[in-house]
Amino acid sequence: MAASMARSGLRSASLLLRGGAKGRAGAPTKRSFSASAHDDAYETAKWEKITYAGIVTCTTLAIYNLSKGHHHGEEPPAYPYLHIRNKEFPWGPNSLFEKKHHADH
Amino acid sequence: MSLACQIEGKFPFFTTLGGGGLKGGLHTTGAKWFMIESQRHSYHLVDPSPWPISGSLGALATTVGGVMYMHSFQGGATLLSLGLIFILYTMLVWWRDVLRESTLEGHHTKAVQLGPRYGSILFIVSEVMFLFAFFWASSHSSLAPTVEIGGIWPPKGIGVLDPWEIPFLNTPILPSSGAAVTWAHHAILAKKEKRAVLALVATVSLALVSTGFQGMEYYQAPSNISDSIYGSTFFLATGFHGFHVIIGTLFLIICGIRQYLGHLTKEHHVGFEAAAWYWHFVDVVRLFPFVSIYWWGGI
Repeated sequence: MAASMARSGLRSASLLLRGGAKGRAGAPTKRSFSASAHDDAYETAKWEKITYAGIVTCTTLAIYNLSKGHHHGEEPPAYPYLHIRNKEFPWGPNSLFEKKHHADH
Repeated sequence: MSLACQIEGKFPFFTTLGGGGLKGGLHTTGAKWFMIESQRHSYHLVDPSPWPISGSLGALATTVGGVMYMHSFQGGATLLSLGLIFILYTMLVWWRDVLRESTLEGHHTKAVQLGPRYGSILFIVSEVMFLFAFFWASSHSSLAPTVEIGGIWPPKGIGVLDPWEIPFLNTPILPSSGAAVTWAHHAILAKKEKRAVLALVATVSLALVSTGFQGMEYYQAPSNISDSIYGSTFFLATGFHGFHVIIGTLFLIICGIRQYLGHLTKEHHVGFEAAAWYWHFVDVVRLFPFVSIYWWGGI
C-alpha cells in the first residue's frame, strides 16, 4: 500500500517535471504542443488553402517552363575526364542514363 | 489445482526465482502470479521475434551477392536478388508486427511512444550528416577546381542543366507537398479523418510529380555520373536526395493507408509524425542542391 502510494506520488511528480500542466492529477491528458479543436479546424483550413496556392503556383510554373522547350548542347571533345570507363558494368558497356547521349540527341 | 501450481509445474524456475516452497515464494500464489500477468508499468516488453536474425541474414546475402555481382561472379545476381527479397520481406513483416502491437494490442503507451520519437529524430540527424558529406564533396571539388578539369567549374567541356528550367520548377513542388502534409497533420488533430486522407493524397501526388520531373531532368541531362568529378558529385548528391524523396513518399503512402483504415487518432499518430518530420527534412534539403549545385555550381 505504502509502496504503491509512493509510486503514484513519484509518477505524478515526474509528469509535473516533464509536462508542466499536463501532470495535474485528474486533468485530462493533453498533447503539449497541440492547440484546441477549434484552432485545429482553423489551421486545417489555412493549410488547405496554402496547399492549393502551392499547387496553382507549381502548375503555372510547369506550363510556362515546359512550353519554353530546352536547348541541346553539342557533344564536347573527348577530354580524358569525361566518359570514364575503368571496367565494364555488369549489364554491359553503357551506364544507366547513357543511351540517349549518343542516339537521338 | 490453482493457476500458480500449474505454472510451477510447467516452469520450475519460477519456484527457484521465488525462493522455493508453496508458501512465502514470490510467485507461488495465484494472486501474486496475477501481479506478473497484469502489467503494472507502461513499458512494452517485446515478444521474441525472428525478424532481427532474418534481416541480418538478408543483409549478409545482399552484401556478399552485391560484391559477387559487381565482380561478375557466377550466381552473384541471384544471391543479390534473394538478399534484397529477404530484406524487403523482413521489413514488411516486422513493421506489420509493430502495427499490430500498436493498434490491436495497445502496447504503445505514451512512454513507449518516446522510443520511436527519439529514434526518428536521431535517424533524421544521421541523414542530415549523410547528405552533408555529399555537399562537402561538391563544394570541395568546385571551390578550387583542379588543373585536371581545366581549373574551372563546371569542368571544361561539361554540359550543365539550366537551373531555371526543370530544377527551378522542381524546387517549389516539394515545399508545397510539405504544406500539404501540415494540412494533413492539422486535419488529424481536428479529427477530420476524410480531409486528412485527401491531404495525404495531395502530399503523395506532389511527391510523385517531383520524382517524375527529376527522372525527366536526368534523362535530358547533358552529362552523366561518369563525366568527371562534376558528374560524380552532381549525381551522387541529387540522386541520393531523389532516393530520399522516394523513401519519404512510401512512408507517406503507408500513413495515408493507415489514416484511411482509421489507425491514426488525435492522441496517437507517431508514425504519421515521423513521416511528416522526415518529409520536412527532405523538402528543406532540396533547397541546398538547388542553390549550391544547380545554380551556383552550374553557371
